[in-house]
Amino acid sequence: KMFFVKNFFTLLGVSGTSMEKNITLDSAARIELSCRLDNKYSHLKSLQVTWKRGNETLRHINKTENSWSIQLRILDNSKLGSYSCTLRGEEEISAMFHLQVPKIEGKEKPIVSYEGDTAVMICKSFGYIPIAWTWYMTNGSEQVAINDSLLADKYVINRISANVTNLKILKLTKEDDGIYWCEAAFELGRSKGKLKLKVLSLMVPLKPFLAIVAEVVVLVTIVFLYEMYSKKKEKCA
Amino acid sequence: CLRPLGGAFGARAGAAAWVGSAPLAALQLGGPLGSALSTRFGARPVAMVGGFLSGLGLFLGAFATHMTHLYLSVGLLAGLGWALVFTPSLGTVGRYFPAQRALATGLAVSGASVSGLALGPLVPLLLDTYGWRGALLLLAAISFNLVAAGALLRPLPVPNESPGPPRDRPGLVRLLRHGPFLRYALTFVLVDAGYYVPFVHGAARAHEVGCDEHRAGLVMAAMAAVDGGGRIAAGWLAGQPATPLLRHLFAWVLLTGLVLLLLPLGTSFGGLLALALAYGFCAGALVPLQFAGVAEVVGTGQLVHAIGLMQMFESFGSLLGAPFAGWLRDMTGNYTISFLAAGAFLLAGSLLILTLPGFFHTSQGSGGKEGSPAPAPDGPETPPTPPI
Repeated sequence: KMFFVKNFFTLLGVSGTSMEKNITLDSAARIELSCRLDNKYSHLKSLQVTWKRGNETLRHINKTENSWSIQLRILDNSKLGSYSCTLRGEEEISAMFHLQVPKIEGKEKPIVSYEGDTAVMICKSFGYIPIAWTWYMTNGSEQVAINDSLLADKYVINRISANVTNLKILKLTKEDDGIYWCEAAFELGRSKGKLKLKVLSLMVPLKPFLAIVAEVVVLVTIVFLYEMYSKKKEKCA
Repeated sequence: CLRPLGGAFGARAGAAAWVGSAPLAALQLGGPLGSALSTRFGARPVAMVGGFLSGLGLFLGAFATHMTHLYLSVGLLAGLGWALVFTPSLGTVGRYFPAQRALATGLAVSGASVSGLALGPLVPLLLDTYGWRGALLLLAAISFNLVAAGALLRPLPVPNESPGPPRDRPGLVRLLRHGPFLRYALTFVLVDAGYYVPFVHGAARAHEVGCDEHRAGLVMAAMAAVDGGGRIAAGWLAGQPATPLLRHLFAWVLLTGLVLLLLPLGTSFGGLLALALAYGFCAGALVPLQFAGVAEVVGTGQLVHAIGLMQMFESFGSLLGAPFAGWLRDMTGNYTISFLAAGAFLLAGSLLILTLPGFFHTSQGSGGKEGSPAPAPDGPETPPTPPI
């Protein structure tokens, strides 16, 4: 097991503003979180600083002249979460550290495809390499894992590179429409990305298509009718 | 009475031509075909058929099951369709408006800028709503409007038109022996080699100097917008009786070349934007003049053929220009040399214009006497499509 020691501080300064920091961890590590006090408060005496995780107060705080820190060993998912340090004096100033697994980005906009076509959905992990990827589709309110070896002529899952995974859905039907999830497994937990697939029938764009073509036919007819009309007028005149 | 073709037609031609840059090659290479066919059968039927083919190409592309299908349908068929629309239309505009040839041409080609700007947000919207198949389907429908636009190319007898040689083949062969025409065509081979570089590589250059996606897009859109303005302005300006058209053309080509040489100086968002606006305006300006200028060089009788042939020659410049600039960039690490080379091409082209007969002798007015040929619309009819 490899332990990495990391240090994070936040300056407790202006009261009223909430200070938060996100810390991303993909594998086991040793972390030191510190809250340091801004110089303008250094004159205050008897300051009380508490470190908490949720409702649970943590002990073993290392204190130096104007900083308070805790050391954590993050070995599994249960140790992740939000840690806060609170300064109790005249006002209450606090800062929060959010320890989390790396986030996976899905796609904001739905992927549009057509019946019978093949859709490709891509998920990327930025900066961190997952141990494994799993794809899920939603069936009603349930998430069902996609087994590509079982349904090899329908689903193909490829790991293009360490950070990128691909789900190919062949021979799309209306039933394939819906929300899909790609899940990356890290040592410290799992993280999901959301993707939306829309399966349309070709009738959908066909309607505006026919409308525009009808417009063209109308225009051409008008042009030729007007021409014939003006020619007749010339002849009569 | 003659109907003003500028607005409706120009906009339609632009709508089709915007889609895809590969078809640009087909468009230019197919130039002579468009001229030959329209001389034989008339501008209207050829343009209408061209409109139909371009729509058909995009329509078939919607059902493609393989990349090659797309190249053949969208690239080849649609491009061919546009070639059949472009040459006859610009030739007609030139022939029908001898007194205001430059302005009429400018209005006609400005349509491309209008649709370019419209398609900028429209295409992503279509892609998001209908996917690429649906988007191609709807773009095909929009392209079919070219049939309606082509229908407006009413065959009319043009008074005072100098009868050129009626036969197609002798006409083309004659042009190939016509010194001034060859120099004119070579001018635009050089111009095309440099002209497209900022359009094709502009966004990348914006990134190179530190602009993010949004700002790079802004620079490109601004360039396309003033392009349209430049087309109309130059067309109008050349119509003001004072100097021969070829001198206007020389001035704009020279100016465009100089702005290109200055482009590498744009190293901030503001600087690049200002230079891009200047470039867009100048680049747009030379489009209608290029076409109106053909008439000055070869006369009305040969106009349509000359346009087609010139386009074919030009395609060598446009096909090689942007990739060459890209290669220079890869060799040197940034776009400075690419833009300098492009500017040099344009300056070389402008020097060639000085050798043309119409330059130093004042021609008889701007109009249909003396057998001024119909302006051949040719050349960069649309600024490069924004990335789809």
